[in-house]
Amino acid sequence: MQLRINDQTLGVPPEWHQDTLLHVLREALGLVGAKYGCGAGLCGACTVLLDGQPVRSCLTPVAAATGKAVLTVEGLASGGALHPVQQAWLSAAVPQCGYCQSGQIMATVALLRRSPRPTVAQIDEALEGHLCRCGTQPRLRAAIRQMTGGS
Amino acid sequence: MMNAKLSRRQLLGGVGAVLGVAFLPGCASFPVIPKRPSPDTRAALGWISHHSGHYRMTLPRVEMGQQITTALKQIACDELGIGPERLGVRQHATHTIGRVRATVGSESIMDFALPLARACATLRLAIEGGHPGGRLQAVDIPQEKLRSFSSQAQWVGRSSILEQGLEIVTGQPLFASDVRLPGLVFGRVLRAPMPPEVPSRPLTLEEQAARNVPGFISIVRSEVLRMASSEGIGIVARTPAALDRVEQALNIRWTIDGAADAEAIHRAIDIDRRMSDRATREHHVHEDSLPDGRWDVDLRIDIPIAAHAAIEPRVAVAQPTDAGGLDLWVGSQDVFYQRDVVCRRLGLAEDKVRVHGCRVGGAFGGKTLSTVETEAAVLAHATRVPVKVQWTRTQEFVQAFHRPPSSHRVRVRLENGRLAHWSHDFASSHILFTGAVVPAWMQKITDVIGDDGVARGATLPYRTHARRTGFDLVRLPVHTGPWRGLGAGPNVFVIESAIDECARMAGTDPVTFRLQHLDEPRLRRVLEQAVGSAPPAPGSVAGLRQGRGVACGIYKKTSFAAVVADVVVDPASGQVRVLQMHCAHDCGRVINPDQVRAQCEGNMVWGLGMVLVEHWTGDARNFGESPIPRMSQLPRMSVHLVDHGEAPSGAGETAIVAAGAAIANAIRSATGWRLTQLPLRPETLQAHLRKGTP
Repeated sequence: MQLRINDQTLGVPPEWHQDTLLHVLREALGLVGAKYGCGAGLCGACTVLLDGQPVRSCLTPVAAATGKAVLTVEGLASGGALHPVQQAWLSAAVPQCGYCQSGQIMATVALLRRSPRPTVAQIDEALEGHLCRCGTQPRLRAAIRQMTGGS
Repeated sequence: MMNAKLSRRQLLGGVGAVLGVAFLPGCASFPVIPKRPSPDTRAALGWISHHSGHYRMTLPRVEMGQQITTALKQIACDELGIGPERLGVRQHATHTIGRVRATVGSESIMDFALPLARACATLRLAIEGGHPGGRLQAVDIPQEKLRSFSSQAQWVGRSSILEQGLEIVTGQPLFASDVRLPGLVFGRVLRAPMPPEVPSRPLTLEEQAARNVPGFISIVRSEVLRMASSEGIGIVARTPAALDRVEQALNIRWTIDGAADAEAIHRAIDIDRRMSDRATREHHVHEDSLPDGRWDVDLRIDIPIAAHAAIEPRVAVAQPTDAGGLDLWVGSQDVFYQRDVVCRRLGLAEDKVRVHGCRVGGAFGGKTLSTVETEAAVLAHATRVPVKVQWTRTQEFVQAFHRPPSSHRVRVRLENGRLAHWSHDFASSHILFTGAVVPAWMQKITDVIGDDGVARGATLPYRTHARRTGFDLVRLPVHTGPWRGLGAGPNVFVIESAIDECARMAGTDPVTFRLQHLDEPRLRRVLEQAVGSAPPAPGSVAGLRQGRGVACGIYKKTSFAAVVADVVVDPASGQVRVLQMHCAHDCGRVINPDQVRAQCEGNMVWGLGMVLVEHWTGDARNFGESPIPRMSQLPRMSVHLVDHGEAPSGAGETAIVAAGAAIANAIRSATGWRLTQLPLRPETLQAHLRKGTP
């Protein structure tokens, strides 16, 4: 089994073929950005993009990712430069503990691809299913508004 | 048997040595008590080192999102006279630092800043003076001579770059769950689906079916896997999916001797029932006697159990060493306590176990016991291979300890529009001396002493002729312990709700009324400044009721906060939306303004959650049944920092004292209805509004 992840082709060892995409990424392939938060698709910490769409990798059997392009937080920076979303997160000092943030970032990348200048309502809708216990939500909104020219 | 006449100070001081001396050897059920050394300059010299122009700091605290790493680095850079790029920081491990106590209680800056500053200044002076190297002598440089405490500070007082921010946004390994080792396998300890306070043990299991699962490695049975009254069975497998299949195939049936029935819990702490059984409470905060008679304000307030719900389920990795010991990687608030417990429970010498602290994905008081750490240690020790154990979210909701519920009856008499008599009775369950730290026989002793965590925030900051505040501690069949702010969130919620009613009864503006009764100048100031700096109330919307509420409070006598909240209520549905929250916060001299703001924001979200969203019940298995606030429920937030240079105090929990009550007071202002049963149920508010009572 092979997966196309962050523009690289990576092999999945046989004993991992029955696992979720989340655990394959983290434990078999060492891409630990996506996190386990709930195992039920309710918290968003495991979010990666599959052919550009945000999916809950904790609910995605790894076989379902074959033949598709997987994008994880590790694949956002290119040529040594951070992705604008990553840069915005640092400029606005968004993270507190940081555990939910890669999911928030991936959801935001997907949001901005479909709505480059999102309204507050669109931001809230995109991140509604992304839980943060530290309370970074005000800064998540602020970082996205700053990036997209909102006030 | 123990001498029961321990003084409160001895027990709460956590002086393990005192208890050790009083204790008869051979009594294996005596719990491991977390040790709490106070940091001094000599200890702090062990936190920093210099080699060939580069400096390294071993962080004496646990980083869990409060950005203590960033703040302490700022202090160090000022004292060392360097930029942050020359100071590397690492999390501490039991073999890289002298013992440090748990990271709890918002005391890191208060207690660690000065020793660190002195140690760094000592190091700088030694280097400047051509010191040849090696260990330095501690010098207690006076605070006035410290750069980080002066107006010349370059880094302290500014909002500095987030330590590990780059690693977070690029997905680098940071948390214990990110640890990967050759040959790492996955483990879980299975227990009955009940709080561990309820006795349970396995009745039947299908061992052969489990062994037949591809990827099965081992079933581990050990008395060390007992947690409180619940027996656990360990399983180990090659991958997480195999682990899930082994659990399913094992199909354990449990014997459960008891229940954690919500009705029974509610009845046990029902304060009115307790007050009719006994006029006085077991423990007192204020003890004036009060006459009988009519009360002007009389409120019954109930606050439910709530989960910590950190997004990182607790996790640890354990790896056996060739010397017959263990290396552990943990996401715990108390790294040394993990070592102490694992050594004791596995019978290993202290130098055989090394515990590495990792960044924690949210803790809030909940990652203080030894749970996954002991589990991983047992499974690794038994299988002789490295094992990762991360609780499922379901295990977090079922097995972890939660904020205890509390039931309050607060009654006030006014005279000439001023507070005269204040009476506050409440009942709750243990916070500091919980069933899992302290066995039942010892809990009886600690009941005599009381529980500071439960009483936190119950001290009335307002002037009255007479006041009486008392509480009962009730042992409940649910697992309770410290939650952000401990009792301060619930207790100050009650006080600030009652004060608000008193103001209305007196016909006085709620801010004026509070100021009329407050002596503490820093609380007065933070209240005045919150109101003075709050953004204007949002414009009204036709068909919706709107209101503004205010609340204020003190956290651990040293930090002060006031919150102004604006809400809007839809009378048709009873739905409440918080439009904005504004906090004025005084924690003395601020090291990193932006990060203090971040903590205020976090505490405002927790206060909103306490009042509008959160309620854990025994059948909660995931976030669907036990929700936390979501993006759309959260308002605009602003923070006004009040910094007049007093000794630095904590921000990690402070604002939670005022956030919830400000919302409840805003709802009262908008609708005339007082929220007394948390969390708000829209149908209850809707029913009140339909009745048309103003």
